[in-house]
Amino acid sequence: MSLAIPNGLNNTVERPGERAPLVLGDTTYHDITEAVCQVAERPPGRAWMIGFLVAFALLNWLGICIAYLIYMGVGVWGNQAPVFWGWPIVNFVFWVGIGHAGTLISAILFLFRQEWRTSINRAAEAMTIFAVACAGTFPGIHVGRAWLAFWLAPYPSLNLWMWPQFRSPLLWDVFAVSTYGTVSLLFWYMGMVPDLATFRDRSKNKWRRMAYGLLALGWTGSSRHWMRYEKAYALLAAFAAPLVLSVHTIVSFDFAVSQVPGWHTTIFPPYFVAGAIFSGFAMVLTLMVPARSMLGLEKLITIRHLENMCKIILATGSIVGLAYGTEFFIAWYGQVPEEQFAFLNRALGPYWWAYLTMVSCNVLSPQLFWFKKCRTTPWIIVVICIFVNIGMWFERFVIVVTSLSRDYLPSAWSYFHPTWVDWSMLIGSFGLFFTLFLLFCKLMPVINMAETKSTLAKQLHMSHHE
Amino acid sequence: MSDDKNEKKVHGIVAEYTSVDSLLVACRRIRDAGYTKTDAFTPFAVHGIDEALGIKPTFLPWIALGGGVAGLVTALLMQIWMNGINYPYIISGKPYISLPAFMPVAFELTILFASFGAFFGMWALNGLPRFSNPIFTDPRFDRATDDRFFLYIDAKDKSFDQAGAEKLLGETGTEYINTVVDDDSSTTVPKFLLTTLIAVIAISFIPALVVARMRVTTSSKPRFHIFPDMDFSPARDAQQTTSLFADSRAMRPDVPGTVARGEMEENLDFLTGIQMELLSSVDADRAERLVRTYAQEGEPSEKASDQGAEPAKSVMDTTPWLEQNPIKITEAFVQQGQLQFNIYCSTCHGMDGRGNGLVNNRAQQIMASSWIPPASMHQQSLYAEQYPDGKLFSTISNGIRKMPGYAGQIKTRDRWAIVAYVRALQQSQNASLDLVPENQRAEIKAEQARVEKKLAEQAEAERKKEAE
Repeated sequence: MSLAIPNGLNNTVERPGERAPLVLGDTTYHDITEAVCQVAERPPGRAWMIGFLVAFALLNWLGICIAYLIYMGVGVWGNQAPVFWGWPIVNFVFWVGIGHAGTLISAILFLFRQEWRTSINRAAEAMTIFAVACAGTFPGIHVGRAWLAFWLAPYPSLNLWMWPQFRSPLLWDVFAVSTYGTVSLLFWYMGMVPDLATFRDRSKNKWRRMAYGLLALGWTGSSRHWMRYEKAYALLAAFAAPLVLSVHTIVSFDFAVSQVPGWHTTIFPPYFVAGAIFSGFAMVLTLMVPARSMLGLEKLITIRHLENMCKIILATGSIVGLAYGTEFFIAWYGQVPEEQFAFLNRALGPYWWAYLTMVSCNVLSPQLFWFKKCRTTPWIIVVICIFVNIGMWFERFVIVVTSLSRDYLPSAWSYFHPTWVDWSMLIGSFGLFFTLFLLFCKLMPVINMAETKSTLAKQLHMSHHE
Repeated sequence: MSDDKNEKKVHGIVAEYTSVDSLLVACRRIRDAGYTKTDAFTPFAVHGIDEALGIKPTFLPWIALGGGVAGLVTALLMQIWMNGINYPYIISGKPYISLPAFMPVAFELTILFASFGAFFGMWALNGLPRFSNPIFTDPRFDRATDDRFFLYIDAKDKSFDQAGAEKLLGETGTEYINTVVDDDSSTTVPKFLLTTLIAVIAISFIPALVVARMRVTTSSKPRFHIFPDMDFSPARDAQQTTSLFADSRAMRPDVPGTVARGEMEENLDFLTGIQMELLSSVDADRAERLVRTYAQEGEPSEKASDQGAEPAKSVMDTTPWLEQNPIKITEAFVQQGQLQFNIYCSTCHGMDGRGNGLVNNRAQQIMASSWIPPASMHQQSLYAEQYPDGKLFSTISNGIRKMPGYAGQIKTRDRWAIVAYVRALQQSQNASLDLVPENQRAEIKAEQARVEKKLAEQAEAERKKEAE
């Protein structure tokens, strides 16, 4: 293989003493604007229309199911003694986890000056917000009397004459997830303002111009504004980095603070965070690979971007695998019979099939990313990432259901059976997610144009000096 | 075009560049020329431009720090006040103010408020949102968010002179220089948009107003139950019927053999009010039946009809009833009987035992045809000589005529206490002064005189009133 970039699109070859280009071809600033804006300015294509209709239908089905649930009560779910935390909480943890990759890409990789994040961070942040929206739905309706969910808020209640209980991890969760959603939204929106100004300035249609004009807040690109903007961006990144680690840590407290065998372990916080990043990157790739070819963004979201994300999946997947092993080791080493039983039961008990799915999808499948061919072939990436998504959903299922169905009281043991409402809500939550994501693709700048241009500027600057 | 411009206020001069490098060179030129009210407009953040234009660092981080501190303090005070002071939760004997448990929320709110500080502080310092800006009047300025770089000198700069500035910018390799003038396009919001907005805001207040109104007014109708919660239980009430059981009673009798705590009494005389040994010699069958009922099944099966006065008079008469209350009569015991009598018996028999209880009065009032008036406790036939304690006890337990048995509701001991109290009631209406201890007789006489006097006065007052 020659050192020159073959076919102009492969930037995965390392050349000593040189940074691999992240914007490919003879791209100019204007080309970047064109490439990103045409996504929103073109009339929607057939693939988008079909995708949107399917997603929107599923979203409506989710809405109907929620109405049915609220009308009938939580008995329509499979939640039954002793498994009172069934699929709703599984789905909640799954979706919150998905969200984490977005913040990781936009905040932590920003702080580490990983410039390859620039063309993927926008979509990843959007994914975060939509995933948090999906996640937030489930605890909201899981409280039983969903119309009283506002009792979680610390407000002076005239009905209760009391306050929420701040020693409960479930309340920590409320604060963690809502803070996370809010900060992610601010971060996402702030990052979009310069690009929304680009949209505004390109709009021919009066209404379009007015809508984007309002969203762009009168952004001019003034250097004085940019200076404060960049400072604020760095600050938000610095705040979001510990925040993202705290959120899944607190989600794991929901389990770890309890006394249930299989939940009461100190490994949960780091293990949950690694799993969250793992599943989030898999979801980013699942979305990005088809999107980049459908929207014609191959020059901006390059193979190198995909490869880097595959490497992170490989690393976090291995951490997750190590955590599974460590749990077993600690169960043996700790010599608590209930704990030992819980873990043996996880792997060999009635839910062995779920455990097997989890291990093969989460631990084995990402190992394929040791091979460069797998990291650079888009369809293989998508297949593996879908497996990872399935595996991570099963991980939460295994944690929630196996532990609860076999707790301290053998007379209460039972087997969990999901109902059609459980299934519908899981699938419907994907409807919500994809509806929002497809709308985002069509209406908002899917790639951070300003940052990509500044990456290009650096690239041009370096090539001048050669 | 130029004539037009001269009439408008000039805000400044703008020049266009095609590359970062030429922009930076131009920035340094005008900075060195002494201009300070300058700005550059770029499609992305250009590094090095702060120095080239002489832009000072921002104090935004301090705002963020302030936000963070405010968040931390808010969170800690909130949790300490809510869970430690105003409504102390008792959780596993932990201190009310348990800081470790308050850390997660404190951390989250610190981050949240710091982020608000950074986000809103940045927009405030930048003076945004600002939707009307003279710079937008420049016809080529739309490219500032695409691929062109603009340099701007404000007319408010103290060393500003239009010709000089234009000349200076002309030397910096730009191909486009323009003056920025007032924006004369309309800034009013379209009328229908405004109308819609106001209408939406107004309509959105209606539900809140309706709720607020309903909260402060009263209504004779029962309240709405959008979500009935658990207000209406499908479980049956005590006196309702049900199709679940053959006897249609929703209220289930005790399971045979049930013995309440503290009710495990071996003594059958105590349970039945009958001298059982005597009974077995008089009526062996019945004695055996009673033994089986009490000893094995626990529930008295001798129904009212079995020993009710009319149908089985002979049985009632031949039964060797206990003559004496088996429990020692003390003041406390009689008071206990009074309490139980007032709870269970007085509704029909009246507080004084004359049979004028509320239920009876009501039945008389509505002339209930099937009503049998409750017996007065003060008739001779119910005195101890004719109606032994054991028989009275048995009547309370098993019922008579319309009266149901109270064995299920009143504990055995309490039934005996009622018997004692009924005897006291009977005594109270017929006692002669001789029965009272000698040293209290005077007191009673005085009381009697006082009451008589009072009654006489009342009668007098009423007579006068009538006369008037």
